[in-house]
Amino acid sequence: MALRDFGGQELEIDEDGFIQDPGQWNQTVATVLAQDEEVPELTDEHWKVVNMIREYYLKFGIAPMVRKVCKDTGKDLKQIYALFPSGPAKGACKIAGLPKPTGCV
Amino acid sequence: MVRQPGIKDISELSDQLVELDPKELMPLPYPYDDRDTQADLKKLTEAQRQRLEASLDGFTALQLAIPKTKEEEDEFVRQFVTGVGKLLSEDDNWAFLGPLMLRLDYCAKCQSCAEACQVFVGSGRQEIYRPNYRSELLRRIIKKYYSPGGKLLAKFNGADIDVNYKTVARLAELAYRCTLCRRCAAACPIGVGNAMITREIRKVFSQEMGIAPTELHKGGTVKHLATGSSTGMTPAAFADLVEFMEDEVEEKTGMRFKWPIDKKGADILLIHNAGEFMAWPENPEAFAILFEKAGVNYTLSSELLGYDAVNYGLWYDDVQFAKVALKHIAVAKKLGVKKIIIGECGHAHKAITVVADRILAGDNQIPRESSYTFLADLVERGLFKLDPSRNNFPTTLHDPCNVVRLMGIVDPQRRVVRAVTPPGSFREMTPHGVENYCCGGGSGFAIMNALNFPDWRNAVSGRMKFKQILEAFGPELAPDVLDPSQPKYVVAPCSNCKGQMRGTFEYFDATAKTGIRYTGMVELIVNAMTDFEKPFLNPEEEF
Repeated sequence: MALRDFGGQELEIDEDGFIQDPGQWNQTVATVLAQDEEVPELTDEHWKVVNMIREYYLKFGIAPMVRKVCKDTGKDLKQIYALFPSGPAKGACKIAGLPKPTGCV
Repeated sequence: MVRQPGIKDISELSDQLVELDPKELMPLPYPYDDRDTQADLKKLTEAQRQRLEASLDGFTALQLAIPKTKEEEDEFVRQFVTGVGKLLSEDDNWAFLGPLMLRLDYCAKCQSCAEACQVFVGSGRQEIYRPNYRSELLRRIIKKYYSPGGKLLAKFNGADIDVNYKTVARLAELAYRCTLCRRCAAACPIGVGNAMITREIRKVFSQEMGIAPTELHKGGTVKHLATGSSTGMTPAAFADLVEFMEDEVEEKTGMRFKWPIDKKGADILLIHNAGEFMAWPENPEAFAILFEKAGVNYTLSSELLGYDAVNYGLWYDDVQFAKVALKHIAVAKKLGVKKIIIGECGHAHKAITVVADRILAGDNQIPRESSYTFLADLVERGLFKLDPSRNNFPTTLHDPCNVVRLMGIVDPQRRVVRAVTPPGSFREMTPHGVENYCCGGGSGFAIMNALNFPDWRNAVSGRMKFKQILEAFGPELAPDVLDPSQPKYVVAPCSNCKGQMRGTFEYFDATAKTGIRYTGMVELIVNAMTDFEKPFLNPEEEF
């Protein structure tokens, strides 16, 4: 595990750059992670998806299924990919401070 | 030319034993037949190479930290040699000692297994991936340390190998270059397989040294036992997902019904791989529709582990395996069901039906059945109104190794696919059935997604299956069939195989270039049902 500087705050990340403790996530962390995922700027539309994923994770301990993200944010999959080029699982979930997904997903 | 090292070269002190060249991997058919435009294999960065052990072939499955001192290196070797000793002990390895010794002692080194191995052939016949290269390393280490006069007589009795840090570190990675598909055992004239030897090596690293891929151990069995699922899904999350899927079923089919959960008095406990709920919800949805329509008296479970059939211990660790298997049985016993049905997950079939059989005694012996045979029976009893022309696209069938080669379930899934597809649209891969090739993601590879390992899995271990799929739909059979505008489906009734296909198809950009997609089997049945107005499968929806 390596440490990475997120605007003055040092956080542990895994080999693929996912933060390890979702409790230490904040908007600055999200902005830094967004740079890695080809999202130069987090707009309101991005935040809508990021916040939905994060709230679901805090409640249930897993990422929401992609179709639920679409339904709850009123976006189709193409729009999600337009916002997050690396996809909902790799891109949006990472920016929302979730650890890397596990299991056969 | 890629270098072809001999067995003794494994201990050389170089930074990297072999460097793969994408152009020298096994050639692929149209439209991937231009060797000069093969996709690259991702390399580790220099900083990663300084920290992580990748001296076998430049890839890392284990992300082992490179030791900083000679003492650490020596300790690493000592622990491994001690662990190998335990493999040979009746007390420490009672379950597998017998079969292991047969495999170690009776190999005649005829190399029949080599041409049977999709990793060896797919790699362009790289010596280090030859199945018996790995097995022979373990044999020599055992001879050196655990036979009378081993070290002294090394040169004369086949124990001639230097066992240093590099030897052991490379062997650790090499244990994760085999998918445990057991095709080599089927090809061997006397049934000696290398897969079990590979798994025994993995076991030493895990049980003696605490070394296993993060995805299988920390994010796998450990998480499974702690939260109820390797995905981290808690019972509350499971309940939320079921609610969502009930809504989806209504939207797609107009059918509104509650899914049975923890239903006392049910005859059957249906256990899915929990990955399905998150990545391919249409699969458990299709099961729910079919079981509801057929009037099956079944239940799902919301108990910890009762909603996740996976058992990653099967791939690397006996202790973790037994813990998970016994929990699955306990959930079924508590519900009082007469039988467990396993969803579309290959390794879960092997885990709970075959391997767990060795540890289940007395009233723990609850009957277990594959969903393939169970569904074939429902379809053949005429319980569903089917119109095969609704599946009006070419299909082929992938055989998950654990269900087909290991358990011998070959025909039922074919009868199902033929019953729900128009005549002439289903084509077999060559070879298929018990001679099938692994998807390339077996033994956990499909979920091992860190650093550059996915490139190895997609380009090397998944190469043979990808070739077979292209050939099944290939231009020799029908000139236009690889036209990307014509959707075609690989039916893959296994979560792990689907995950691998998702990865390979993405790596080769296959859906855009050829129109090839994958699906589970139950989705195809529901798609043929005349009860519903809208199709259940949506070729435009890719996750």
